[in-house]
Amino acid sequence: MPDSPQTGDETPPEQSLFANYRYDPRFYDEMFEAQAAPREHCRDLWNVLDGMAPEEIAAMQERAERSFLQEGITFAVYGEEGAQERIIPIDVLPRIVDAATWDSIERGLRQRIRALNLFLADIYGRGRILTDGVIPVDMILGCPQYRIEMRGVSVPRGIYVALCGTDLVRTNDGFMVLEDNLRVPSGVSYMLANRGAMRAALNKLFRQYRVRAIEHYGNLLRQTLSELAPRAIADPCIVLLTPGVHNSAYYEHMFLAREMGVELVQGRDLLVHDGFVYMRTISGLRKVDVIYRRVDDDFLDPLAFRPDSQLGVPGLFYAYRLGNVVIANAPGTGVADDKSVYAFVPDIIRYYLSEEPLLANVETHLCRNPESLEYTLDNLENLVVKMVGESGGYGMLVGPASTPAERDAYAKELRRDPANYISQPVLDLSCAPCLTEQGASPRHVDLRPFVLTGHETRLVPGAFCRVALVEGSLVVNSSQGGGGKDLWVLPE
Amino acid sequence: MLSRNAQGLYWISRYLERAGHGCRLVQIQYRALQDRTVDELDRTWARLYLSLGREPLGGRLGSNLDDEDFMFADAYTLTDDLTFESDNADSIRNCIAAARENARQVRNVIGNEMWTSLNLLYLGMRDLGVEDIWSDRTGNFFVNTQDSIRGFFGIADNSMYRDNGWHFLQLGRFVERAQHMTALLDAQLEIFPSARRHVESDWRSLLQIAFARGAYSRLNSLDFKPGPVVDFLVSDRLLSHSIRYALEHISSSLDVVSEQRPLAVEARRRAGRVAASLDYDWPNRDPGDDTATRATLGTVSNACRRLNEDIEASYFNYEIEDSPR
Repeated sequence: MPDSPQTGDETPPEQSLFANYRYDPRFYDEMFEAQAAPREHCRDLWNVLDGMAPEEIAAMQERAERSFLQEGITFAVYGEEGAQERIIPIDVLPRIVDAATWDSIERGLRQRIRALNLFLADIYGRGRILTDGVIPVDMILGCPQYRIEMRGVSVPRGIYVALCGTDLVRTNDGFMVLEDNLRVPSGVSYMLANRGAMRAALNKLFRQYRVRAIEHYGNLLRQTLSELAPRAIADPCIVLLTPGVHNSAYYEHMFLAREMGVELVQGRDLLVHDGFVYMRTISGLRKVDVIYRRVDDDFLDPLAFRPDSQLGVPGLFYAYRLGNVVIANAPGTGVADDKSVYAFVPDIIRYYLSEEPLLANVETHLCRNPESLEYTLDNLENLVVKMVGESGGYGMLVGPASTPAERDAYAKELRRDPANYISQPVLDLSCAPCLTEQGASPRHVDLRPFVLTGHETRLVPGAFCRVALVEGSLVVNSSQGGGGKDLWVLPE
Repeated sequence: MLSRNAQGLYWISRYLERAGHGCRLVQIQYRALQDRTVDELDRTWARLYLSLGREPLGGRLGSNLDDEDFMFADAYTLTDDLTFESDNADSIRNCIAAARENARQVRNVIGNEMWTSLNLLYLGMRDLGVEDIWSDRTGNFFVNTQDSIRGFFGIADNSMYRDNGWHFLQLGRFVERAQHMTALLDAQLEIFPSARRHVESDWRSLLQIAFARGAYSRLNSLDFKPGPVVDFLVSDRLLSHSIRYALEHISSSLDVVSEQRPLAVEARRRAGRVAASLDYDWPNRDPGDDTATRATLGTVSNACRRLNEDIEASYFNYEIEDSPR
């Protein structure tokens, strides 16, 4: 920021962080209820931040970024040259969620994951929901994420999804689930790293707000994984299976292994012998009981899935079927977070739990239906269109932000394989203040809480809050250049 | 401990030790640039390259000119070759990058402080070229880099739990040190045979490379003669850069890790045999007989190479059939 001449004691108004903040009534603002009027629970934060000199805030931002680089909190964006090890952008202005709001989110998530686990057990078992005609059979059996190999496999306690990271957005109509990530959700380390950086930067405020702790996530994760062990073992051997240092989320794998105090293994560290999985240690082979895998289904076992996989362990699926090792999440969970199955989750909740969904879904048009396809094609510039099997913001068209040429090209693809697409209205995602060159400015945000399921369902009161760093942008995915900020959940 | 983690720790310290040694060689050579003749410099460059088993860039060394500009141009090119050359697998930067890559693989078993110090060392060097460090104080770069490397080992010393991981870090460090010290002594005797009239500075600089000049002067004299200098660097048990010292540390770390892994018995025996021969046979040698001395160095060097193979085969890449379950 350029030096401006000081006149007397008067502080020029543009010096304060929120001086140029423009409250936008079209979107729910996480901090303000009107221009320059912070919400009740944000008032103290606002006071402190607004009272800080711009240099202080800039220094805080710089410290956070430097600590990320030193720690190696990085993320690789595929397909981008020289993108190896870019730090994940952090925004230092925290977002606050009050106790009542969090409570309703938490109850909604517990309900949702319970239903999804029952759903997975059903479709890999008797398939009642399909024979009852609640969901089209071909949508499930034809889904590339449906693993026929999982039919009839006994999954301990029916816990297919032990870990999930659900993306929630707040709109003018309240919270909605944007997607369920039920395969290998990532981001939890960024949640903890953001917390670490913010705790250092705003320690006093932390105490003042009595922000609820999330640092015990590693303990909960380990406990959850222990509970999945195939036999009643006092101290099961748990490992975290990573594709290796070149994976975009390697930092997280390393971080979680260290938090849990378990070995971080790659495929080549493991082998299957007589139906059991072993890892290669300096004192010989050691039996492995639970594998928290961060490797996709396709690459888990070259004998069962993709034969060209270098990341997996030959025979792993065999050992799994025998019940000698537990893989979390179970193979084949991706079918439940397929974007067309997503549209049925409210029905799934009603079907298995006989309850009304506590968290709303986003209105979704399945392009497999001719009338929905027509509707989508007619309204491309007002819709968000997604490919059903993709995640991470890949293969997506954001209508209002697209050019006619992009829409034409996309429409062509869409017509070729309609069942592969869904469309949703453009959401009025809530905004939160983020630090920009012009001081605080509203940016769209979402949040991803992490839900663990073992003997019981557990979650820490926190989430990875993702930020679309580009003004007006709705895309928050880290892989698309989004960033993160700390989320503070307040006690009752 | 996971085999791959043990292997990672072993290679972190091997690469860092190698980088540190490279820095020390260049630093001492650079110091010589200030007051030695072109002729003398040629020979110390030759010692340096021979000890690293590398051909100098552009072939044979040997400036026939009494031309100081030429001498500095040479030094510039050679420094670049040893420090930043990407095709030189053992260049200082490549070694540090390799150490850091290994550290990235095993980050969950090393502390944050160890990682951060290594990561910063790497980040600080990643984008440099010889033109960035070439100045009146080029030596500083090499001194600072060595400091950072020692900083890493210092953090390890003061923070690591003394389990197997620690001992693999020690093994890598001292296997590497024993190897480069034998290679350095061998190159010294090749370039400066002890029968020939010796120039003291050639032997003083050898001691300097091994951080041994002060101790040597205190214990012996200010007379830097081939026989006593070689003896000191090979067999002194208290000198941290002597071969004997390295072997002792290798043996004691092997003692710990092989408690769990009898496959390594052979490696222990090998290290013990070499150490014993330095204790009992070495003192009886004829100090003037370079051939015999170099044969002994060859034995040590071979033993180190075999040790490395033993460690790899018994801990990292063993056959499944050989493994107890």
